[in-house]
Amino acid sequence: MKKLLLSILFLVTAFGLYAQVQISARADKQILTLDDELTLTVRITGISGRVTAPQLPSLPAFNVYSRSEEQTIINGNTTLVFHYTMLPRFVGRTQIGPVRFMYQGKTYETEPISISIYRHAPNTPEPQTATPGKNAGPAPSSQRADPHLPPLEASLANQSYAKRGEPFFLVAAVSNKRPYVNQPFTLAVRFYYSQAFAGGTYQKPAVADMLMEDMGKSEGTQSIGGTLYRYTEQRYQLTPVSAGRVTIGAGSVNYRDVSDSPLLAFDRLLGLTAAGPDQTATSAPMVISVRELPAAGRPESFYGAVGNRFRISASAEPRQVPAAEAVNFQVTVQGVGNLKVSQNLRFPSLDGFKIYPAAPVSGHGVDGDGSLNGYITFKAVLVPAASGIYTIPAVDWSYFDPADGAYHTLQTEPISLTVTPAVQAQNEVNFGNVKSGGPGFQALAQDIAYLKMNFDPREGVLVRLSRLAWLNGVGLLWVALALLFALLDRNKLARKKIFLTAKNRLKKASSGQEVADIVSVYLVEKLGIHTGSLPLKEIVSRLEEKGVTPATAESFALLWEHLDAERFAPAGAATSAVDLPLQAQNTLRLIEEETR
Amino acid sequence: MRYIWIGLFLLGGWLPALAQEDLQQAEALYRQGKFSAALGAYENLLKTHPKDPFVYYNIGNCYFKMGSKGLAVANYYRAFRLNPRDADIRHNLALSLANGGEQLVPRGMPVILHKAFYLLSYAELTGLVYGLFWLWCIGAGVALLCRKGWRTVAVGTVLCAGAAIWWYVRGQIEHQPLAVVASPTAEIRSGPGTNFPASANVAQGHLITILDRKDAWHQVVVTSQGIKGWIEKSAVEKI
Repeated sequence: MKKLLLSILFLVTAFGLYAQVQISARADKQILTLDDELTLTVRITGISGRVTAPQLPSLPAFNVYSRSEEQTIINGNTTLVFHYTMLPRFVGRTQIGPVRFMYQGKTYETEPISISIYRHAPNTPEPQTATPGKNAGPAPSSQRADPHLPPLEASLANQSYAKRGEPFFLVAAVSNKRPYVNQPFTLAVRFYYSQAFAGGTYQKPAVADMLMEDMGKSEGTQSIGGTLYRYTEQRYQLTPVSAGRVTIGAGSVNYRDVSDSPLLAFDRLLGLTAAGPDQTATSAPMVISVRELPAAGRPESFYGAVGNRFRISASAEPRQVPAAEAVNFQVTVQGVGNLKVSQNLRFPSLDGFKIYPAAPVSGHGVDGDGSLNGYITFKAVLVPAASGIYTIPAVDWSYFDPADGAYHTLQTEPISLTVTPAVQAQNEVNFGNVKSGGPGFQALAQDIAYLKMNFDPREGVLVRLSRLAWLNGVGLLWVALALLFALLDRNKLARKKIFLTAKNRLKKASSGQEVADIVSVYLVEKLGIHTGSLPLKEIVSRLEEKGVTPATAESFALLWEHLDAERFAPAGAATSAVDLPLQAQNTLRLIEEETR
Repeated sequence: MRYIWIGLFLLGGWLPALAQEDLQQAEALYRQGKFSAALGAYENLLKTHPKDPFVYYNIGNCYFKMGSKGLAVANYYRAFRLNPRDADIRHNLALSLANGGEQLVPRGMPVILHKAFYLLSYAELTGLVYGLFWLWCIGAGVALLCRKGWRTVAVGTVLCAGAAIWWYVRGQIEHQPLAVVASPTAEIRSGPGTNFPASANVAQGHLITILDRKDAWHQVVVTSQGIKGWIEKSAVEKI
């Protein structure tokens, strides 16, 4: 039931929106002179069936002299467009009040429109005596435009007064001859004609180093020197992109004069076109001086926009989003100026977000006063990495206002975003790796272990040891030294071992021969002296070379002689073998000490 | 001067107490579900305790609860490197890796062996190797001088060599340029730029090994898949 009611409510609302009646009014110009005419266009949409015409308000400042009506029907919806042509009556500011429209018992109204009417040019002293024609030639002009007119309109009017008497002419004027870089200004090209013509091929003025936007075409009438001219006007918005002198070329219109063709009626009868030769009306080229934007005081957030009445706004959708999902963030700037020339906005960095800037969207419309109303929307996709409450900071955007010659900075409001945990991650966590339980136990989910409530205990001994790398060098040094000592000691011990061996053997020696052998072995192993092939004198000499003192050498000689006597003398000789080992021990000890 | 000493003494006594208080406040925020605020508190504590595995562990918990599996894995891994024996750290790391399709224990390796391999942290293992080496040096020196105890020195040599091999292998793993995919998804491209086609999409939490760097891009290998390619630097968190 609830759903049914909601559906009905939705249908009723949708139908209501669908059938919404809209009415709007627009004047083709808001600044005009008493010589000009004004066209008011009233547009009504969203109606069906027969309707009555809208009611114009009281217009004391105008004479309405013409009305036309257009009707289009698309899918049963009717659109009505009414055109009212009127002539101004008084100088001054006036207002076209709300246009009222009655439909199905309801009254709809348009917004009021402000109009500025300036006086027409004063009449020339000499009146127009003949019908203006191409042979009449330009007459000297003393007419001047109302000094209160805006520069563009005044220039157009003055140029047209200068051309009075010519049946066809083209004039062009700009609203600003000294614009800044990126400051838009208006170029108007107006083709006046007081007689019929054929053809009418228009060539727009050539421009360089400027962006050119077509602002639309309008038509009107103007009385110049008592002659009523009609004109067609084409307007452009020009935006210079670099400083310096820039020339706006001549515009031209090719036409054929058909007003005085003698065969006109005959040609028309035969379906032919009677016209004179091709003629060209050209406007005068113009030189404008484009000024550089001042470097002093230029903020970092200046992206090249020049104009005024700018507004900035920022939005983010949605404001609540799960982690890892996109948030559309956009900053919109609008105001009087050409924002197409603005560079891309630098989005502020946002911790925990990945920012994907998109191409900006820009456009423009025309304000009621004819100025260029531009807008630009900078877009970015923000992807939050983690949940939490975040704030997108204010975004700065600056522009240069030519009116006061200064830079101004606008700022958006900060935007709060709520990022919830990613849904996918939660599912994976809660129901992943669940182990089966035993009897009386059912595992439901697995989650991470809880926080640690304290800091890690102090580091252990091993971690401290790891910081003592220098001790490795000490250890290596210790091993090297031990090795060195061990090697050195081995030689010494070996030498000592020879003496000890000799000494031990001498203690057990029982004959002179045995003692002699032990002494010989000692001398060979210890000092490298071979006793077998050397005479005693040579042995003594070698001993002295090895560092043995002469006294010890003499003692050795004595010992050796006793040994020789013991070995080679017959039995019962004077020397006892018992004394020889002791004598040998003493001698060897002396040699050992002296050759250490 | 005396007052300075008294001040330093008091500060020395108060600082740990203040840090403990901060820890409790962070825990209170975590319990209230204010994970982002708790994360900020733990990151502040990291400034004063940069080598504390429990702080990394708690940061990992905050990221995990906030749905950032990649950053959670990175912080659990840091905690695991500092304290591999802690059961909670091991559990949370294994769980967060499993959510990203990764495994803590390589396939086919017994868990007990993995635990044995990671019985000590790298710093502890370094300390052990140093200690054994010093003992060996002392023993070898004595044996050289005394010309005995060679059997003990031989046993020590084997022990030292074993520990050194263990330490070397752990060092290779420890010094590997490991990273984790931190952004929700990341694209693996065939070259360092968005003008190169994407060959794969990797979800957060996947472990990757960095091979090379070029501007804002890393050349990586996705460990579990064996895919090689280039990934945006901002999408990964180095461990």
